[in-house]
Order: sequence, then C-alpha cells, then structure tokens
Amino acid sequence: MKAIRGVLLTCDSAVKQILLTMNEKQSFIIEDLDDHHLVIKADEEWRVKRELEAELEKNTYSLE
Amino acid sequence: METSSSDTPSHLLLAFLHSQSQTALTRLYQRPSACLSIFRLLGPLERQIVMNLLWLESVIPAATMAAWVPQDSRQAYEHSLSILSRLHLLPRSAAKLALNSTLKTGLRHAIVGGGSSGSFGVPANSDESHPPPSVETLDAYALERWETILHYMVSSGTGRSPTKPSQAVLVLLQRSGLMASVHGGALQITSLGFQFLLHPPHAQLWELLLQYLRMVEERQMDLVEVLSFLFMLSTMELGREYSVEHLSATQTAMLEDLRDYGIIWQRKTSPTRFCPTRLATTLTSSSPPLPTAAGVTSSSQAQGFIILETNYRLYAYTDNPLQTAVLNLFVSLKSRFPNLVVGAITRESVKKALANGITADQIISYLTTHAHPQMRKNKPLLPVTVQDQIRLWELEKNRMKSQEGYLYTAFASQADYEYVLHYAKQLGVVLWESSPRRCFFGTLEGHPNIRGFIERRTAGHA
Repeated sequence: MKAIRGVLLTCDSAVKQILLTMNEKQSFIIEDLDDHHLVIKADEEWRVKRELEAELEKNTYSLE
Repeated sequence: METSSSDTPSHLLLAFLHSQSQTALTRLYQRPSACLSIFRLLGPLERQIVMNLLWLESVIPAATMAAWVPQDSRQAYEHSLSILSRLHLLPRSAAKLALNSTLKTGLRHAIVGGGSSGSFGVPANSDESHPPPSVETLDAYALERWETILHYMVSSGTGRSPTKPSQAVLVLLQRSGLMASVHGGALQITSLGFQFLLHPPHAQLWELLLQYLRMVEERQMDLVEVLSFLFMLSTMELGREYSVEHLSATQTAMLEDLRDYGIIWQRKTSPTRFCPTRLATTLTSSSPPLPTAAGVTSSSQAQGFIILETNYRLYAYTDNPLQTAVLNLFVSLKSRFPNLVVGAITRESVKKALANGITADQIISYLTTHAHPQMRKNKPLLPVTVQDQIRLWELEKNRMKSQEGYLYTAFASQADYEYVLHYAKQLGVVLWESSPRRCFFGTLEGHPNIRGFIERRTAGHA
C-alpha cells in the first residue's frame, strides 16, 4: 500500500485535455484518475493554475 | 411596527444576544427602552406571543397557548418559542408559559409610560441661544459621516486618498476584518469588505455596531450599559436634544465613538447635550437609516437609480461619489455626466469583482435593490441575459477545483482496499474512489487517522 501526497483536481473534460497537453511540456501529473479527476504534484499547483488561466484566456474575446 | 428583519428569521443582534448570559440579559431588561427595542427586533410571530402574554398576571398552561396554533403552523410556533427562550424572554418549561418578569415590567412601562428610570433619554432644557439643530442638518451630518467611512473603504487600494475617518473607526474596520493592513502598510479593503459595501445600509450599520459590541469587553466597558445606550438612542426622537447628565461613565465614553459613526450629533461648544441622528433613531425600526432626500442626491437612494439594458450597458442616475465608487467595483465605467454615469458590465469588470471576493449573487442583488423605477416595469426586473452571463462568468472562474490530500494506492488485495476505504468513509474524508483501480483520494486532515489505522493493522498482523 502506498500513500502519495498530491492535489486532486476536479475539472470538466475540456480542461482536463488542456492539462494533459501542458503535462507533455513539463510533467506535473502524478495520476490520471478518470475523465474529471487528476492528481498532480502539490508544489506545482499554483503554476498549473496560472498557466491554465492563461490558456483559457486565449479562448475568450473581448469587445474592448 | 414592522422590523427590518422580516425576511430573515432573526436579526443580527438577536444572534449576538443569544450568546449572552442570563444575568446580563436580565439586567438589560430592567430598562424599558431596551425591552421595547428588543420587542421591535423580534419576528412577527414572536411579537404576537409576547403581546398575548404581556398583560396576564398569572402563568398559563402551555397547552392553552398551543391550542391556538393550527397543526401546520406548529413548527413555526415551536421555532418562535425557542427564540424567545434563548433570549430568556420566556423561560422554557413544559407545562407553563410566563414572560420573564423583568421584561414584563419593563415592556409594560414602555407601552403605558410611567416609571422614572429615564431609560428613553432625558431631553435637555431648551436653550434660547442655541436652538436644536434642524432635521436637515442632522441628516446631512449623518450622511457625511457614514459616507466618509464607506468611501474610505471603497477607495482604499485605488491610489486615491479620500478623507480618513477617525482612528477609532479604522480600528473597528480592521478588527471586523473588513479592511486589513498589507505588510504593515496602509489599510486595504478585504473581500469581506467588498461584500459589506453591497449590503443595505441598515445591515452595514448593525455589522459595525456588533463588532463594536464584541470589542466592548477588552475595552473594559460594561456590555449591558453599551447595549442599553444603543437601545435608548433607537427610541429617541429625531431633532430633539438630550442631556448627558443621566448617562453612566461608560455611556459618556461612547458618545465620542458614536459621533464618529454619525450616529449622534454634538455641538462642540456644549458637550452636555447631544442629538441622535436618523442612523440612531432607526436602529430598531424599518425606516431607512439614511436620509432619503439629503442635499442634491434627491430621492434616488430610496428609489433606485440604475438602468441596465440587455446589451450590458448600465446607466446610473447619480452624482454621489460613493455610489459611483461602489459601481466601479463591478462595472467598467465609460463616461460621467453631472447627474449620470454610463458604463457597461463586461467580462473583465465582473472578473475583477469576483477576484475581490464579490459573488455573482451579490452583484445581481445590488443591481436589483437599486434598480431605477423605470426598470420595475420589466419582468423580470434585470435582463435575463445579463443575469445569466454574470453567473456564467462566475462558473468560468471555478472550472477547476483543487483539494490537497493523499492518494492511497497499490493495496495488496481487494479486501484490504475495501477495509481501509470503509474506515476512511466513516471519517468522511474520501474525495474520490475507484474500486476497479483499487485506489482512493482522501483529504489532508484525514491522513493522520488513516495512517494510524493502517499502522495499527499492520502491527496487528505481524
């Protein structure tokens, strides 16, 4: 039996695909659980959040 | 006499009173003004029960009272009784109902008059050379004081420096968590503070006063004195001067604090008398606490001033810098005219608000409360597209949820897995599980327990 410390991410499947792509550049995923859940390294959490935010921002358009 | 708290089961203050000891409350009920004020804060059903019992000389059997209650209202009745008993207004007993005798005397005095406790304040003798201030002066004063506080909060962090409220107010804001000092620097508004700004004035006032009450003990003031003074103020008459002679030392000390909040007015040259403002006299009533027709603001505050269109454009008929500043929290403002502010609700402006800790519901409820009378013709009041979009923007922010914890995996056998999982479930710490993969994810808090459990088990096997 093993206990691995990490952060459980719950997200929709689109976000999960983005995360998988990001993982190819710099690995942070510990375990791919299912369509909506991932376990990642705890100390990478903030970087991942920031990069995901930037990635999602590319897909929105502003009128201003 | 409708309380402002008719929509919520119990006023903010009642919750605070619940936590006070019976002795303190009984001392409080010795003052007729306090009895009357608490009575006004109660919900309609509680008031009904108190009124029914007030003039009875003897106790009545609980069954008699219960017989008046239809079966389907039983729950509401029980709820009211429990509120009353927690306030020690109506001691809970299975068989008999009788009001707290101190309260009974106090409330009777308040209603029929009589007694000489001076608990409703002692009016000062009229002074020919200094006539009491007019209601307009008082309103303008209260509004100016109150808006100084709010404006200071809303402008912190924007780089502009508005008039600072007094040091005592700053301490209060900081202690209530509405503002916080970042790295020992200037005070910055917190996310709690942003939410506070969108509350109605009556709630804001009580939130600050409750914080004041919580700080009373460390300032070595007598809580009962403080509370009864607030209640006394709330039953006073607007535009009348009262004498400070009959106040206790604690209450005299409070005068200065309350002056800073704009609750009372005092002439600099005559500290022996004071005047309650509208903020004070409406503390326990449902009338709006801030003057509705102060200066050039006209009656926009009471009526609402915001027009929101389906294309996200927002027109606010106001010249009040505070209202503009509050709007600026979640609207991207485009132009300002003498009586009109034009802006639009955009993704960026809402995201900024969300990042400050304001929720979509708060934005929507602010827009609803302050909607212009013209908007009231619409059904629903706010354009559905805009409401939905604000909620969607909020959801967008929460596309990913993260929870720290431990992944338990590589169990030796299915039985082993199920055994540990069962234990973890009992603790309620399982966030995710998969039987086929034989692993589960538990919270950080649950880990010491689970580790202990596994260790005990392995030790038992060995």
